[in-house]
Amino acid sequence: MESVLRLLADHGPAFGQALLLTWKLTALSFVAGFALGIVVAVASLLPLRPLRFVLIGYVEVFRNIPSVALLIFIVFALPDLQVVIDYEPSVILTLSLVCSAFTADYLRTGINTVAGGQVDAARSLGMSPMVIISSIVLPQALRSVVQPMTSLLIALMLSTALASQVPLPGRELTALVAKIANDSAAGISAFALAAAMYLASGLLIAWAGATLDRKVRILR
Amino acid sequence: MSRTLEDVLFGDLNHRAQAITRGVSVTVAAALAVLLAAIVCRFHAAGQFEPRLWEFFAWETTWAFLGKGLLGTLASAAAAAGIALALGLVLLVGRLSPLRLVRWPAVAVIEFLRGVPTLLLIYVCFLVLPSVGIKLNAYWMLTLPVGLSTAAVVAEVYRAGVLAVPRGQTEAARALGLTQARVFVHVVFPQALRYIVPALVAQLVIVVKDTTFGYVVTYGELMQNAKVLISNYRSLVPVYLAVAVLYCLVNYGISRASRRLARPMG
Repeated sequence: MESVLRLLADHGPAFGQALLLTWKLTALSFVAGFALGIVVAVASLLPLRPLRFVLIGYVEVFRNIPSVALLIFIVFALPDLQVVIDYEPSVILTLSLVCSAFTADYLRTGINTVAGGQVDAARSLGMSPMVIISSIVLPQALRSVVQPMTSLLIALMLSTALASQVPLPGRELTALVAKIANDSAAGISAFALAAAMYLASGLLIAWAGATLDRKVRILR
Repeated sequence: MSRTLEDVLFGDLNHRAQAITRGVSVTVAAALAVLLAAIVCRFHAAGQFEPRLWEFFAWETTWAFLGKGLLGTLASAAAAAGIALALGLVLLVGRLSPLRLVRWPAVAVIEFLRGVPTLLLIYVCFLVLPSVGIKLNAYWMLTLPVGLSTAAVVAEVYRAGVLAVPRGQTEAARALGLTQARVFVHVVFPQALRYIVPALVAQLVIVVKDTTFGYVVTYGELMQNAKVLISNYRSLVPVYLAVAVLYCLVNYGISRASRRLARPMG
């Protein structure tokens, strides 16, 4: 306990900043990945064969590639192709791509829960397919994926740890722990503090997700 | 009801709509072809098609080295999966125990291991444990943390399976005079396993992904060996592409197996 207090005195502000950076990376990649995932899921519904084919490949690639491998490719290999992306955008890009693939996959499952009869009914009312997707299929699909999306957001939050693999100007929690453990003997208490922060963030997300799920879930 | 949603949405388009769809399809295909051409041009412009960047892929030694890396990845993943399956079972039994003194620590361990990034656990094994006198070799510095964090997830997967077994099974077995322990071992757990095999196999994908961090502790897995190749041949793009393709293939294979197992048995 005493060592944790000393750690807080020495590195308190650094931990605060690290937690904020972890949250920032999580939030930005989730928003971008979620939006992109919706686009991918809707676009794969369109009766355009070449597009569907490419999107299936997109989802499989980004669901199966390890995030670190993707991040390292973006940060270290792309400059050889004269594409230079700064470190922080690279991390966010990596996580959003991975997040979008999982989002598209979950949404597809959610879309499948919408009964075909509803779409038949909407078509016989003369609604166009795009209107049906945006006002009948998607709202129900989105309501049904709150739980998996909550787990995805927690996994994404934990994945921001991979930002420690590139020389980001600011340090997120894992990078900070690695640095403190490297420089001093305070590794264990630094680890305990960071772990507590990750746990608290995860619980917060889980609680928010459960609350949202209770509000919007469709009881069948 | 075998029609997919796409069929219902776009099933019976009139001739004009069909013609439009075909036109748009061709346009999209053309746009994708242009995109591909642009990528190829970029490779060419950046000099990434130079033979010296690719020629070593024709050498047997390169593939032997990458293959060794892949074996390292699989060796670590397999041991981590073993740890996860065994420790997950221990955590499950603790989690289901009627004794609070057993249940609460089990819940705490599960929540802790699930709620902390694997990479952070790896750093603990790599940087913190040596300072308190525990020295692991590179293999265990990678495998142990990956196994531990997977164990917590596996425990929850087990639990979902156990909860899915109808209560009547337990009640009937108890009524026949089986002890609580025997009911679990002979009646509940075997049935639970059947429900969750696909989920367990899917978890393997995450294990393989996590072992990518092996290069952090300089354990000779695929990513680490790729880095060695890169420093030898100064060929970043081709090597990282090859590695990405290998990872995707392995994980895609596991995902397919999981999906196949998930299909109801005839």
